Amino acid sequence: MSDIGKVRLRLPSTIKAGDVVQVRCLIIHPMERIERDKAGKVIDKKYNYITKVVVSYLGKTVSTFDTTQSVSENPYFAFTLKATDPGMVTVTFLDTLGGKYEGTAQIAFG
Amino acid sequence: MSLTRREMLGGLGVLGVAAAAGGGVSLAAAPAVAQTLGANETVETGLARVFGGRPMKDGAGLIKLDVPLIAENGAVVPVAVEVNSPMTPQSYVKSIYVVADRNRIPIVTRVALSPESGKAYMGANIRLGETGDVRAIVEQSDGSLWQIKREVKVTVGGCGG
Repeated sequence: MSDIGKVRLRLPSTIKAGDVVQVRCLIIHPMERIERDKAGKVIDKKYNYITKVVVSYLGKTVSTFDTTQSVSENPYFAFTLKATDPGMVTVTFLDTLGGKYEGTAQIAFG
Repeated sequence: MSLTRREMLGGLGVLGVAAAAGGGVSLAAAPAVAQTLGANETVETGLARVFGGRPMKDGAGLIKLDVPLIAENGAVVPVAVEVNSPMTPQSYVKSIYVVADRNRIPIVTRVALSPESGKAYMGANIRLGETGDVRAIVEQSDGSLWQIKREVKVTVGGCGG
């Protein structure tokens, strides 16, 4: 899966200064579930799943998601932020294997 | 199966106690928040561990929990939580927890918000192992807890394992 870590961010098409905008993001990630062997015992290994999603805008952290294996594969997250100035929204994903994936979107006022 | 799982959990507990007793304070404090959230446990112990038995008020008028009545595919269940609360530096929603009662890992996600969020809202796709309640628990900046729950019927479970 070479697509792991592909991030897509979506902003509303028009944004006015001061609006509370809803941002949606999607990342391609397996979010491995716990596996069991035939006896029903949990196989002890390092499962690869996202544990943290950090949203920052204008250099400040707006929200943080702490996620567990109960989140779907190729997870989708939505959040809001107050668009005060034009600038970048950065969403950073961290997984248990040390992977770090980033997606950015530009907030511009139309 | 349940016996082996009990044994495993018991073993883990003993290990944890040993680590704590061994003077490994930094070791015990080291695990990231997400790891302590994502434990394999029942919902009661999970909530007790995270919230320490703090009282929870009924947030029916405050929280809007948007989940499907019937989830055909438990692997992908859209959940959205919106809290009717001001988001000012004095009073805002600090975090939103999503809890799936019947999952092996009941605490699905914790979202920490800030006044810059503008609105207390979060959305995510979660897994549901079987039919059961989904809760949204909201922690306000003054420390008060509010919860609301809704049952979701799951046709095909999505947690496997």
